[in-house]
Amino acid sequence: MSSLDEPPNRVITALGLLALVLVWVLDLGTVQPNRIVSGTGYGLFDAAGWFGAVTVSVGLCALMALAILPLRRRYALLGVLLTLALTALPDLLVVFTSAHLPRESPYARTAVGAGFWSLLFLLVLMLIEVVGRLRLGRRGQLGILVVILAGWALLVRQGGLDSLSLMREFESRPDEFLQALRAHLALALGAVAISFVLAFALVLKMMRSEGWRRPVFGVVSFLQTIPSLALFGLLIAPLSALTAAFPVLQGLGIRGIGWAPALLALIAYSLLPMVRNTFVALTEVPEAVIDAGRGMGMTERQLFLQARLPLAMPVIIEGVRITTIQAMGLTAVAALIGAGGFGTFIFQGLGQAAMDLVLLGALPTIGLALAADVVLSALATALQPRPAAVLQHKRTSSG
Amino acid sequence: MIELKNVTRRFGQTVAVDHIDLTVETGEVCVLVGSSGCGKSTTLRMINRLLPTSSGEIQVDGEDIAGMDLQRLRLNMGYAIQGTGLFPHWTVARNIALVPRLLKWPKARIQARVSELLEMLDMDPARFAGAYPQQLSGGQAQRVGVARALAADPNILLMDEPFGALDAITRENLQLEMLRLQRQLKKTTVFVTHDIDEALRLATRIAVMDQGRIIQHDTPENILRRPASDFVENLVGRQDRGLKLMALRPVRDLMTPHDKPHPAEPGADGLKEDDSLRLALSVMLWQDLQQVAVFDHLGNETGVLLRQRLIEGGV
Repeated sequence: MSSLDEPPNRVITALGLLALVLVWVLDLGTVQPNRIVSGTGYGLFDAAGWFGAVTVSVGLCALMALAILPLRRRYALLGVLLTLALTALPDLLVVFTSAHLPRESPYARTAVGAGFWSLLFLLVLMLIEVVGRLRLGRRGQLGILVVILAGWALLVRQGGLDSLSLMREFESRPDEFLQALRAHLALALGAVAISFVLAFALVLKMMRSEGWRRPVFGVVSFLQTIPSLALFGLLIAPLSALTAAFPVLQGLGIRGIGWAPALLALIAYSLLPMVRNTFVALTEVPEAVIDAGRGMGMTERQLFLQARLPLAMPVIIEGVRITTIQAMGLTAVAALIGAGGFGTFIFQGLGQAAMDLVLLGALPTIGLALAADVVLSALATALQPRPAAVLQHKRTSSG
Repeated sequence: MIELKNVTRRFGQTVAVDHIDLTVETGEVCVLVGSSGCGKSTTLRMINRLLPTSSGEIQVDGEDIAGMDLQRLRLNMGYAIQGTGLFPHWTVARNIALVPRLLKWPKARIQARVSELLEMLDMDPARFAGAYPQQLSGGQAQRVGVARALAADPNILLMDEPFGALDAITRENLQLEMLRLQRQLKKTTVFVTHDIDEALRLATRIAVMDQGRIIQHDTPENILRRPASDFVENLVGRQDRGLKLMALRPVRDLMTPHDKPHPAEPGADGLKEDDSLRLALSVMLWQDLQQVAVFDHLGNETGVLLRQRLIEGGV
């Protein structure tokens, strides 16, 4: 794998060049006198001083050099350098705030600029490219992630980023943030769990009676095509009517707006990926396996529990993964009908033209989706029928 | 003993198996042979009730299978199929242990049985017991499939083109293995194949099937010598019947034995007693020999086979 003739990597070179241009052209950060007034932007040189500017530029040039020069361990070196760069990246903001934040005005705050976002984004892209080339296992990828996040967490804990308006927005509403987190998780995971149970029951029925297949797929596909905002809105009327007719339901907290219609809509959206993956997983088990098991005297129940289900499990988990990611994002929209969750911040922020409040809602939403992706991918790998895992292990250890 | 009496199987309008009668004696290998769609697999799958009969009766040891408990019936019939049907998420050992586990054997007994079977099929238990099916070659996987069918020592073996997906050399090895096992185990076997050579090699009796009917049910020798119809004659091959007949008989039948077997000289060429007359003829033609030495399995020379004798009495 690592030979002297390893060809230069064009992706990293191009990304590095782009990062170098953008970081010099765009603002690294802005300083606002208070929350509403738009701030003054600072470029790389102004924001980080000549030392910061030189460090960033030299770092990017070093990345490009490593990508071009004929090196034996190109990708290992690039991986180390990129991890370090990403870990240290927020320090740029610390330097920036300590230099430019006016100390006398308590409402002044700094915001992250386009230059910084571009740098972060491009460095992450480069890291993804390098991780792919290194063929790191899941453990290696997680290791890098942990190192970077630990570095950032340490910086936040030391208070280096307190003046960032994102942090200011958080600090003015920590309880609301926790509540939003709880509501977001409860809605999204609740919808996923309920739709999983529903989908499983539907698929069992579809496997037994072929007549159910087309109608079920038709309905769940149709549900998926309704725009999310419309579905959230459409559920208000029937639910209001329902609770008016049965006041008992109101005691349970079910109303035309709030979590009830949101949960229903999220379940409706979750059904298609759930049903499709579960159905395909359970029906695509090789017929020869089932035939042999049945012919040797296994009961249908034993066949299902010992052959179909374990063989289908990775694909089913894949369905749960897709559904969870989708539900995490959709739950943000559900805030519009008063369901709570991180969407609340997004819509508040939009209303107040406070972009950093929007970010306070958007970033955790993205974070939750990514976390769900990581956890469920790991679970799918762990539940992979063994041989694949064995083979993969062989490949990585020999590579 | 398995008896099919006037058995019919329809799929909608089409008749897959058309009023057949067939008796498989205890301990014999009955090979159902015919082209695809002739009803041979359907017939086999009715014996373990993977398919129900449309009419007629199937008896195993005198008992009508329609009234038997399904699991009890199947657990007593080893079943091996084309492409093995091994469970891909189970190790070789776990796959072989399938039926013993269903029968709730104690762990130690299962383990001992798995090792015994792997050794019987010439696979090192230390190396293969923990392997997964994907890690095996086609031939190895099929051996495991046969081991799994034999695991709980069933009285009956049902084999549905078990060697159909293998290359010619592996298939021949497994056929020889099968013959060796059958000599020891004497299972009542129903074996489905479309390969007439496989049928001639393995069968005690062959049932030639066409369009859902049994055209001829007889020993391989009689099928070759007295084919019941043009269809059978075409199936066995009109012209090379002579060689096929020779392939059925071992060298032992025609050799001139020595009064006293003596150890072979080192490096001496020769045939084994179990080799077929066809092989003997080939060796003699190729090496231009008038006679060839015959050895037993210990390597002692027990006799010679004369070319003259082979030509006169071979067929």
